[in-house]
This record gives sequence, structure tokens and C-alpha cells, in this order.
Amino acid sequence: MSDTNQTSPSVKPLTHVIEGRPDFAYLKVQLPAQETLRVEASAMQAMDKHVTMRTRLKGGFKRLISGENLFLNEFTAQGKEGELILGSSLPGDIKRLYLTQNGPALFLQSGSFLAASTGIETQTKFQGLIKGFFSGAGLFLIKCVGEGDIFFNSYGGIIEIQVENEFIIDNNHIVAFTEGLEYSVEKFGGYKSFFFSGEGLVARFHGNGRIWIQTRAMPPFFAWLNPFRRVVQKKRN
Amino acid sequence: MQIDILAQPANTITKITFAQNEEITAEGGSMVAMSGGLDVQTTTHKRGKRGIGRAVKRAFAGENIFLNHYKAERDGAHLYIAPNLSGDIMTHELQGGSLIVQATSFLAHEASVDMDVSWQGFKNMLSSEGLFWLKMSGTGKVLINSFGAIYPVAVDGEYIVDTGHIVAFDEGLNFSLSKAGKSWMSSILGGEGIVCRFKGKGTVWCQSHSPSGFGNALGRLLDPIVEHQQ
Amino acid sequence: MKHVVHGAPSFAHIEITLNAGDTLIAESGAMASMDASLDQKAKMNGGFFGALIRKFFGRESFFISHFTNMSGRDAKIIITQKAPGDIRAIKLTGGGFYIQPGAFVACETGVKLDVKWAGFSSWVAGEGLLRNYVHGHGAVFIGGYGAIYDKEIDGEYIIDSSHIIGYSRDIKLNVGMSGGIFSSFLSGEGLVARVEGKGKVFLQSRSVRNLANFINPRL
Repeated sequence: MSDTNQTSPSVKPLTHVIEGRPDFAYLKVQLPAQETLRVEASAMQAMDKHVTMRTRLKGGFKRLISGENLFLNEFTAQGKEGELILGSSLPGDIKRLYLTQNGPALFLQSGSFLAASTGIETQTKFQGLIKGFFSGAGLFLIKCVGEGDIFFNSYGGIIEIQVENEFIIDNNHIVAFTEGLEYSVEKFGGYKSFFFSGEGLVARFHGNGRIWIQTRAMPPFFAWLNPFRRVVQKKRN
Repeated sequence: MQIDILAQPANTITKITFAQNEEITAEGGSMVAMSGGLDVQTTTHKRGKRGIGRAVKRAFAGENIFLNHYKAERDGAHLYIAPNLSGDIMTHELQGGSLIVQATSFLAHEASVDMDVSWQGFKNMLSSEGLFWLKMSGTGKVLINSFGAIYPVAVDGEYIVDTGHIVAFDEGLNFSLSKAGKSWMSSILGGEGIVCRFKGKGTVWCQSHSPSGFGNALGRLLDPIVEHQQ
Repeated sequence: MKHVVHGAPSFAHIEITLNAGDTLIAESGAMASMDASLDQKAKMNGGFFGALIRKFFGRESFFISHFTNMSGRDAKIIITQKAPGDIRAIKLTGGGFYIQPGAFVACETGVKLDVKWAGFSSWVAGEGLLRNYVHGHGAVFIGGYGAIYDKEIDGEYIIDSSHIIGYSRDIKLNVGMSGGIFSSFLSGEGLVARVEGKGKVFLQSRSVRNLANFINPRL
């Protein structure tokens, strides 16, 4: 995979620009005529009127009930090139990678998926999948393979780490990592630390590869919001 | 110890690179990532005998009063820490004096710095901020985070700061809580409520945005918390 | 009156220097810090009935603040907004534009904030029965959650309505569903605005409402 455009002749990388970095990034894509881009639900901010949208529910309705769903909208430029402006709902950055058939796959946190061209396949079931990687919160790992552009976003800034030996990360800060790295999930600092230190699950990575971490995490942010929510009294039946 | 401040200005993270045996104390819940070679101990910190009301709980929400003490077992061990909210991080070098820091703005301090959690300077807190304050003294580095951009104001006379916008101030400054305008009606209706008047000579560090301002704007749109009556 | 915008684009806040006798009009709660010589007064936003209309139909605050420099020397104030993001200073010279609720931060006294009828479709869309038109002479500061970017329109364009913070007078907004009922609900896109005309639209790259929608199922 690469950050630049080393491609095979059959797939063309998308013309795009990422603005508003690093804190409130948004992506402007010029979709070639009849090309389709798969986009995370609710990420569309603006688009040309000849760009059409179709909703797909990946995984079917069974997945919807289990809470593990990936709503994707497919945007297609009809007749001529069309502009599409995308962004996530969380404050943060956007990163783009170009995956190739013989390059390593990318593991991506589901909440970070922003958009992918049709040459990229997003798998939610794959070998070596660890359940409960993100300790709930409706998040799961996706495996991205194929050839084409993949755009992902972060909550907070994105820092790229080149792993050489060992690296430990709080799971809520993981955005993506390359195939080839070995990892195990454990509690931080032992049982006492789990409750007192505030850190929950961490992932211990070994080997060589790249990891992208985000500088903010969702669970503590949601906990911080609790005192600002209205309280409603309900009678127990 | 090398301190690098990255990903500024809104989602700032600090990378601390240690020499063997160097230590740092950081707020619980702030660890993002670390290399091998660091020993971590967790302690709790007792707060004084204040009644824990809802306003006070607000100050604790997302703010753990638990501390992690990191000690490097080898040279080059490094640690990434970050606060929970969007904002910036600054390093303040204490040289003998004392700095009063708003509790949610505290991120980390070197072992040579003393932290006092029972500072009672703002008695009879009327402010809806429900803020807690820490007193940092001694010599060494203190890492402070803000919600928003941090801007220092060199006070020489009198200066007014909305209480949700105070990050830290020199202990030598005089301060009093009061109203922003000539009347209480005006202050509260105008949305300013209680403000802090700083007098004398010293620096107050302000943040451009108020956590409760954003929290309320967002909280209003969130699903309510359902409490079941017995 | 002079102004400098600091901290843009992520935590924009305005440093305003008021000369002796100057008054600044600001959104409720917008003051971060200020010189002690400035006086703050709460005023009803457009008189009692104007304020009532604004509050319930236009969704602006009932009160706004007037900051006046009562001393003989220059005085400074730092004005901010509730959400982190960018602030644009726009100098009006007689003309005006529409701003969405919540986008108003502050303005000089020569600028007026009027409410105009927005049409029933706007109300059905949750956008309010009235819309806010800012016009006059002087600087007006508008803010958004996230980065602010603009789009020149000449014809038609589609914009997610939660990302619009302002638009010029000759632009028409038609708010409607993004697809059929089923796809609007599942797509997450909800309501979109089909924008038409000739002029400029100001967009914000985030919205507090979208953030709440993201968070709610995960609480």
C-alpha cells in the first residue's frame, strides 16, 4: 500500500483534496463519470446535483440487530464528473491510503471508516478476528483488501507510528494498523489499574508495521457529557 | 526528559521521552500509548472533606482523581499522554512559586513538583462551573491542557475572566468572584453569570472556549438519562 | 473598533479593542475575558416581542449582551463561541445575508439582525418558521463548529442542511428529504437543502446536531 499513487493501469486513484486539517478535516472528491464511491452514512456535506445516492446495509438485517452494522451510502456521478464533499461527525483528521493487491491489508476501526472506492473490499469476518477488541461501544475491526483508495477519519489528530519491536496502545485510541503486526489484548497494569487508572483494554503490538493512533478517545468524552444531559424520572412498573 | 507537543492546536498530544530512572506523574485515564520499558504505579489522591454535590461531580466527570506514576526502566522509553477534551497543551516551568490550576486542566507533573488538592481559595463557590482547583508548587515542569487555545494575560491592575475560561493563574494575584456588569440581572440574563475579577500583578492563563458552554450546547441534544423512581 | 481573530481555524476567538464610548453587541455568554473598564448590559434581542419571536421561532437567544467602554482609554475584550471552530469577520456596507441560528457571534452597532418569514417547508424541515437576516454597516462575526468554507453557487447544488451557516440574499434553499423515506432514515443523511440561485453559501465542516446523532446510539 502507499500514500502516493503507485497503481496498476486498471484502477485510477481519485482526484481529491483534504482541507480543514488537522482538527475538522473534510474531503473533497472529484468523482469521474459513472464511478461509485462507498461512504459512511451521514458523512455527505455537499455535492453536485447530478451525484446520486443509494443506501446499502452491509451485512443484512441480522447485523442491524446485533449492533454491528456498517451503513454505507453509494454515491455515483451520473453522466459527467461530479464533486462530493465528505466529513465525519467527530472532530478530527482524515487520512488517505492507496491499497494494492499485493500489498498488506489494512485493519480499520469501524467508526473510522469514511469512504472507499469500489476496488476495495471491506470484510467484517476474517481469520484471527478478536471479539471484544474495543470493549463494546459498538465498534469492531474491519479488514480492507483490494486495490483503490481508502479514506479514514480519526477522533482527534492522527499520529503514525512505525512499530519496530513492541508498542502498547489504549484500544480506544486505535484507528488502523497494517496486516503483519501481531497483537494481543490485555488489561492495563493489572486488575487494580483497570478500575483506578482509567485505562481499560490495551493492545500490545509486536513485529513490523504501521499503526495509526488518534489523540482522543470516545468513551471518556461520552462520560464527560453525562452531567450535561437532561435527567428524566420514570416510574418503575 | 524530552517533552514534545504534537497534533496542535485542537487535539494535542504529548510525547515524553525518558532517560533511565526519570519519572512523571500523570492524570489517570490520560495514557494513549507507550513503548516497553516503563513501570506504572497507580495511586489515588484524597480530596478534602467537601460535600459531593452534583456540581462537584461535574468537575469529576471525565476527570479521574487517580494518578499514574511512570518510571523509565531504560533510556528512550516513551509515553504518549493526552487529555480527554479537544484543546491544547502547554508546559509550564515552575521555579519556586505556586500556580493555581483548574483541576480538569491538570495533565502531568514532574516528580519534583508538589500537588495540593485541597486548596480552598474559592470559598462558597456560587459558580455553576463547580470547579476544583489544584495548587502546584516547587520546581519543575507542569503539563496543562485547555479546552480551546490558551492565551496568557499579564494582569497589571484589574482584569475580568469568565470562570469557565480560567486555566491557571499565579498564586500572588488577588481575585474575587463577581458579576460582569453593573447588575446581577444583567450578568445572568446576558449569559455571563459569575466572573472572576483578578487584581494586582501576575499572569492568568485563559482558554478560548468554555467546556460547560460546549457541554450544554451538545448535552441539550443528547438522549436524556432515565432515572427510575423506587 | 478594531478586531483580530486568533486561534483560527480550530479555536477561533476574537480580540476586540473598543475605543472610548464604543459598544459591541454579542451573543449571550460570548465573553471569555475582558478589561475591567468595560460594562456589560443584557438587552432583549429586538425588544420584548422581537426577542420572544426570535426565541421560539427563530431559535436565537432571548437576550444578547451589549459591552460598552465607559472609560476614556481603549479597552479589550475576548469574544468566543460555544463550539470550537472558525469565525469569519464580514464587513457589511449596506447589504446583508441570511445566517442560521447559532451562527451569530457578535457585531458592531451599525449592524441589524432582522427576522424574515422562511416559509412552511422550512418549518417542517425543522429549520424554523423565520430566518435571520443580518444587514447594515459594520463588522459582523459569524462562527461555526469546525472549519468554515464557502461555495460559490451558480445554478443548483445539494448541501446537508446542518452544515449551512449562512447564504447570500439571492440564494434560495429548498429543504427536503435526501431520498425516499426508507433511504433517508437509513442513509443517515436525513434532510438536505437543494440550493439554487447565484451567490455564496457558507458551510461548516461539522455540526453539533450530527455529533449528537453520532453519540446517542453509543451512550
